[in-house]
Amino acid sequence: MIKVENVKKAFGPVTVLDGVNLVVNPGEVVSILGSSGSGKSTLIRCINGLEKLNAGRITVDDFDVSKPKDLAEARKRSGTVFQLFNLYPHMTALQNITLAPVEVLKRPRAEAEAEGRALLASVGLGDRADAYSSQLSGGQRQRVGICRALAMKPRYLLLDEVTSALDPEMTAEVLDILAKLAAGGTTMVFVTHEIEFARQISSRIVFLEKGKLLVDLPTAEFFAETGGLAQPRVAQFLSKMRKD
Amino acid sequence: MRYAEFTPFDLVLLAQGLGVTVGLFLATTLIGLFLGALWGVIRFYRTPVLTQFITFVAEILKNSPVLVQLFLVFFGFPAFFKLNMTPVNAAVITLSLNTAAFVYVIAVSSIESIGRDQVEAARVFGLTRWQVLRHVIAPQALAFSIGPLTALLVNQLQVTSLISVIGVMDLAKIGANLNLRTLQPFIVWTVVGVLYYLAAKLVATLGARLEKRLRAHSAFRGL
Amino acid sequence: MLPGAGRPGGSPPPFDPLDSPVRSVTVKPVSLNGARVRLDLTILIPHLGFLAEGALLTAEVCALALVGSVLLGMLVAIARTSSNKWIGRLAFAYVDLFRNVPFIVQLFFFYYGLPEIGIYIDAFTTGVVALSISGGAYASDAIRAGILAIDNGILEAAEVSGLSKRVTFTRIVLPIALRTSVRPLGSVLINMILTSSILSTITLNELTGQAKIVASDTFRPFEVYVVLLVVYAALTYLVSIGISLLHRRLNRDLVEQVS
Repeated sequence: MIKVENVKKAFGPVTVLDGVNLVVNPGEVVSILGSSGSGKSTLIRCINGLEKLNAGRITVDDFDVSKPKDLAEARKRSGTVFQLFNLYPHMTALQNITLAPVEVLKRPRAEAEAEGRALLASVGLGDRADAYSSQLSGGQRQRVGICRALAMKPRYLLLDEVTSALDPEMTAEVLDILAKLAAGGTTMVFVTHEIEFARQISSRIVFLEKGKLLVDLPTAEFFAETGGLAQPRVAQFLSKMRKD
Repeated sequence: MRYAEFTPFDLVLLAQGLGVTVGLFLATTLIGLFLGALWGVIRFYRTPVLTQFITFVAEILKNSPVLVQLFLVFFGFPAFFKLNMTPVNAAVITLSLNTAAFVYVIAVSSIESIGRDQVEAARVFGLTRWQVLRHVIAPQALAFSIGPLTALLVNQLQVTSLISVIGVMDLAKIGANLNLRTLQPFIVWTVVGVLYYLAAKLVATLGARLEKRLRAHSAFRGL
Repeated sequence: MLPGAGRPGGSPPPFDPLDSPVRSVTVKPVSLNGARVRLDLTILIPHLGFLAEGALLTAEVCALALVGSVLLGMLVAIARTSSNKWIGRLAFAYVDLFRNVPFIVQLFFFYYGLPEIGIYIDAFTTGVVALSISGGAYASDAIRAGILAIDNGILEAAEVSGLSKRVTFTRIVLPIALRTSVRPLGSVLINMILTSSILSTITLNELTGQAKIVASDTFRPFEVYVVLLVVYAALTYLVSIGISLLHRRLNRDLVEQVS
């Protein structure tokens, strides 16, 4: 269980997260919606310990990310996929995937590689294991990025606007894989602009506005006139996103 | 084994050595700046043959050891051209040409940084090549090249120490003499090193100050 | 005299303005050479083997010093990017000092100074050590720039996947930084080749040292040093081509676009 309790985060004078509470249970797919600058990405970066909290507490399976000795355990339980892929440019796709399992989990190299190849095959990149990041398209890079996160066998997958840097065709490639993962029961926290897709795969949808968590509802209720849409800010956001 | 303590007069010697170093540095810098800029202008006018020749000479000077250049001028020239060459003359000739070669390279790259379209625009307005150089290129190129020139001069100041090898009584040579006389290498070379260090820092500071001023000036004019 | 290998044949001590080439100029009977008007490089042919020995020594010194300065440069670059304030300052002081003091002063400091504290090493070793320390200051700048240029997102990816600082550094930061700094490190090498000529002043007969001997033996300093200039220029030119090839090869995977 990921538990976010009354988290506050400010960059200098700008408050980005202002008392956010959120619980993600195993098996859930939680999508985080909100306009740019609402703090969505920062929330993900707080959960994986890339940002220090100003107040509040975040635990991943009871490991407190603010405590240095817990952070490593918390990080082992979550895997992050980045907006800009952040693949290691000097390594092949397979090396990107196997580095952490071998170095952190101390898996035998041969095993890690076999699993890495299987992962690549499962995302349709079985023949690109030896390609470098620069030799892959954006969609392919992001699929490698997903494999790299999955290779650590995380209990929670944190996805930070993973399709924002991709064109529609490549976006479809990546969403396709995420849909499969969701159907397979992977727990995900999904920061996104893809509203329709979020609607399809999410069990719950959370709406952030100016660092505050305005709405946290099961998907069907979120899109119901009497539920999320009853909030003017949510209705405004959804209609604006659909227009774009 | 001769052995002699330091004497107060050694300070005078060091000051003299520093004076020779700084004096030769300033003289060769001025000559080098003038020659290098002149070569840059020759290239700007696309003077055939001469441009290629200058580029070739500059490349050789840039890519060979200054020590060997000094040996060529000090030992080679007198033998081949049958002329007299004092260590100081050899030092001035070599260091000036060496500085000029690097100044030339900086001049070329800063002229090129300004961009052909600006030059062409100015030419379209009927400015002569000289007017373009004088009013469009030179002010910008100067502001652009102060940084690289400062780095070059900090380096060239250190390069002057090589003239001690052909017997010029500069700071390094005074150091060598004191070293042989007192047999206190750590003290001697530390003091000499510190003096060179301070001189280098002075050059760097002056360069940075000049750059700041020139940049402020050109930024103001840009508005 | 101070320790240090003397030149074979009991020639004068190092750093003597009246070194043999000077005498070749002043003592030379002009009447014998009066007829010479043009450049005659054939006189160097018998000495090519001797010069080649010097070139080999230059290559050895520079190869060892290159390794030394890249290793030192890596350590110093790590120190300079370290979060410990004092380590960073110390590393900066080293770089600042060795970049602003002439190499010949550094060299004499080591050459004459080390025996004073009981360290007796030959001219070759002294030369390699001095070039490594001086080159290390420049190499650290190149490597540090390579480290600082690494995309922060890549480091975050490594961090969240739980890689230790050590593994992140050795497997990700250093390999990327070394690749991107191939060109600046190449400039360090070229500079080192040129600087190594100064080792002739501590009796090390590398290329320049051998050439000095040839110049004084043949009484033809002009021919010898003209050729030497061209040889050094050609040598550094070849090295720069090699560096470009290496750079392209190592960074192939970083720049190649989708086929």
